[in-house]
Amino acid sequence: MSVLTVQLGQCGNQVGQELFDIICSDAQEGQRKTYSAASCERFFHQTAHGDLVARALLIDMEPKVINRSMSMAAKSGRWSYGESSHFSQKQGSGNNWANGYCVHGPRHRDAVEELVRREVERCDRLAGLIAMMSVAGGTGSGVGTYVTQCLRDIYPSSFILNHLTWPYGTGEVIVQNYNSVLTLAHLYQLSDAILVHENDTVHRICSRLLNIKHISFSDVNRVIAHQLGSILQPALTADSHGAYSRNPLGELVSALACHPEYKLLSVCTIPQMASSSIAYSTFSWPGLLKHLRQMLISNTKMEEGIDWQVRPPADSGRSRSLAGGSFNTSLANLLILRGKDVYSAETGGIDDPALYTSWLSSKEAFSLWKSPVPFNKYEKSATLVSNSQALLRPLDDMVGKAWNMFASRAYIHQYIKFGISEEDFLDSFTSLEQVISSYSQLC
Amino acid sequence: MKRSADVKQVKHVIAALCRLLAAAGLDPVPPPDSFRRAKFGDAVQEDPFWQLLTDVLQTAGVVSCDSSEPTAERRKLVAAGLWQSGFHADWMYEGEEGGAVSSQELLLALGWLLATGALESVVMKRVQKLDRMLLTCTPVLPHLPADLHVDSASLRRLQWLIGCLRHQRRMLLSMLREQTRALHAVLSASVAAAPSSDRSSAALEEECVCVQQLCSLLEAYLKWKQVEDVFWTWMDSVVDLKDPINGRPKHPTNENPGVCCHGNSRLEKLEAVLLRLPAAQRGQRRRGGDGKDREGGERTQGGFGVSSSLPPVLSSFPSLPSLSQVCRARPRLEEPRRRPAGGPGGRAEPPNELQVSEAVALLLHAEAVLMKRRDEQRLTNRTKLQESIGRLDELVLIPP
Repeated sequence: MSVLTVQLGQCGNQVGQELFDIICSDAQEGQRKTYSAASCERFFHQTAHGDLVARALLIDMEPKVINRSMSMAAKSGRWSYGESSHFSQKQGSGNNWANGYCVHGPRHRDAVEELVRREVERCDRLAGLIAMMSVAGGTGSGVGTYVTQCLRDIYPSSFILNHLTWPYGTGEVIVQNYNSVLTLAHLYQLSDAILVHENDTVHRICSRLLNIKHISFSDVNRVIAHQLGSILQPALTADSHGAYSRNPLGELVSALACHPEYKLLSVCTIPQMASSSIAYSTFSWPGLLKHLRQMLISNTKMEEGIDWQVRPPADSGRSRSLAGGSFNTSLANLLILRGKDVYSAETGGIDDPALYTSWLSSKEAFSLWKSPVPFNKYEKSATLVSNSQALLRPLDDMVGKAWNMFASRAYIHQYIKFGISEEDFLDSFTSLEQVISSYSQLC
Repeated sequence: MKRSADVKQVKHVIAALCRLLAAAGLDPVPPPDSFRRAKFGDAVQEDPFWQLLTDVLQTAGVVSCDSSEPTAERRKLVAAGLWQSGFHADWMYEGEEGGAVSSQELLLALGWLLATGALESVVMKRVQKLDRMLLTCTPVLPHLPADLHVDSASLRRLQWLIGCLRHQRRMLLSMLREQTRALHAVLSASVAAAPSSDRSSAALEEECVCVQQLCSLLEAYLKWKQVEDVFWTWMDSVVDLKDPINGRPKHPTNENPGVCCHGNSRLEKLEAVLLRLPAAQRGQRRRGGDGKDREGGERTQGGFGVSSSLPPVLSSFPSLPSLSQVCRARPRLEEPRRRPAGGPGGRAEPPNELQVSEAVALLLHAEAVLMKRRDEQRLTNRTKLQESIGRLDELVLIPP
């Protein structure tokens, strides 16, 4: 079963290229035939000569990033993108969501849909679609939202997972919060689940864990790709009956995002270290999982600087407010263990009912996948995909900043001229306020 | 020219139905021409249609019969099966002493069964027999606790569980598609293999045969669904051909000849609904009197000339015409020139006959009265709500 990845905009195309690079090198490492076959079937199709071609589409309104991604893939010598699996134009979206959604999207709809159909027909069976994009700019956010809508129309029963990269809080684009709000509000209706990476968080990982001095987008993208790869590579699930799961997106969404108001997923992985240090480190599953559990409940994404004082509250002490308490209540968690001795690994207390909201039992809320195959050079690694309050504060900040701008109608005319109205903004704010409220009340 | 084209089209449609019935495992199936002959009551077609009705009812699981055949039992079996599916006809209650049943009647009974979904049941049973890998799930009746708490947490949990089921369903559909593809690949490979190949196994051949039959059945069903409308138009002509006078039920369901042959079940339901109306409205009936205020065009039960056996609740609306009376009375479209001219006896309408225009006027009047009552009730509710709001401090409600 195959997954089609749609890379949208600059960020989507860069992260996507890193992701396929990691997946390909992980799949081809060592003598792991079943795992390799499953991974290759999921993410690549083979040409008559045995070359691996990514099951991916590259879409951008400028050609530069697509060209670079395609040439880097070809240079790897292990895999490449399809020669005609891309679509680009000569002009960008001007960091304007409305320009992407109302102008570029509809204008190029037929061409994009044709590309999607052709790529889907190459799959024996479609397990689902992943749309990768950022929310700050215009193409990834606006065109990405429009393309997601088209995917939903064409494949109403397929699983669609959106991977979003949230911008730095200090701002890359002045209207990034508008673009983010509009994207999120629309995707909430279209997508089955929204997996989020925040640039700020990943930047800290690069700085403090990987000891990278001059952090580039390439470093950030590689960390994101590593975490995504650890989720998407084949694994044994409760429903796969001893074989690698053939329905990874369906099982992910079923495990984590069954309620229409709770679709935001965050990721943390352990261990994360500079590749030069990996060979000198040894890990035990209890140690890794103890750290991962604390990272979850204290809402930190790094194994450094964990606040060990945070504890699950007593039943009577659960706070419902946004500001109160630092304990991160979970709705559902998916723990993925990869590597040596994985069958003897316990859950590390991540299935403790105290970590979860009261209206779901931990049996319904906690899922465990395993793979005996080490991932990306780590002898043992654990990834936690979490539907919890982890993204509540960043979301609230984003909406708050957007609202402050909207209140003074700053830059609104630039959106209105492309065809959206103040009503559309208000609807988006309302939707996201509902999401914030739902997550705030999770206790 | 058009007529012969229509006849040809009907023949094709009935042939599609016959192919579907045959593909569904029924045997024998009358040929298309038998249907045409049965429309006109051809006696020769009675036996094939008796057999077809029996087979449909048994295969669909409406009735079952252990005895191997006797024709006399067959009539009882079919009557029982048709009664189960809601069909009523005189001959069902008469037994053998009522005489032979025309093939036209049997054709109408068959039409009824098809309309109630018996065909789909038969097809489904055949699919289950051919596709051994088909998952069949029996509906599970949830046992809800008596003290079910409906709070926000329970609702959220319910929404989560529903979402989970939806995702499971999508995954199941996806797996079924994969299964179909795999079967298609196996079938293609086995068809391409030489028939005398030593490597083909009997089990595989049997499976291939089943899959081929399944495909034929599904194709026949699809073709039938595309032309089904024409069949029902043709069945309308069968109904029209049936003599409306002779078609009245002969069995004494009640004294009233105008009652629908499907019995009084709908009327009984209406009466049950009206029985639940507030007692105050019954009081109005007592105050309004029985048939005293005929002035102003208001009709009461006396004005209709309906028998006095009418349940009292049905006349509990003195200003509202009795709905059952309008239902029971047969609208009469002809001019009243058949009535004897002049004389007081001639002025009284025949019992249970009502002119269409009068029925329409009555129903319009009833509608106006009910809407007026509805508006009054709404105004009362709004006033009460405003009074309640006024009693609540520091609460502002913004109406939609």
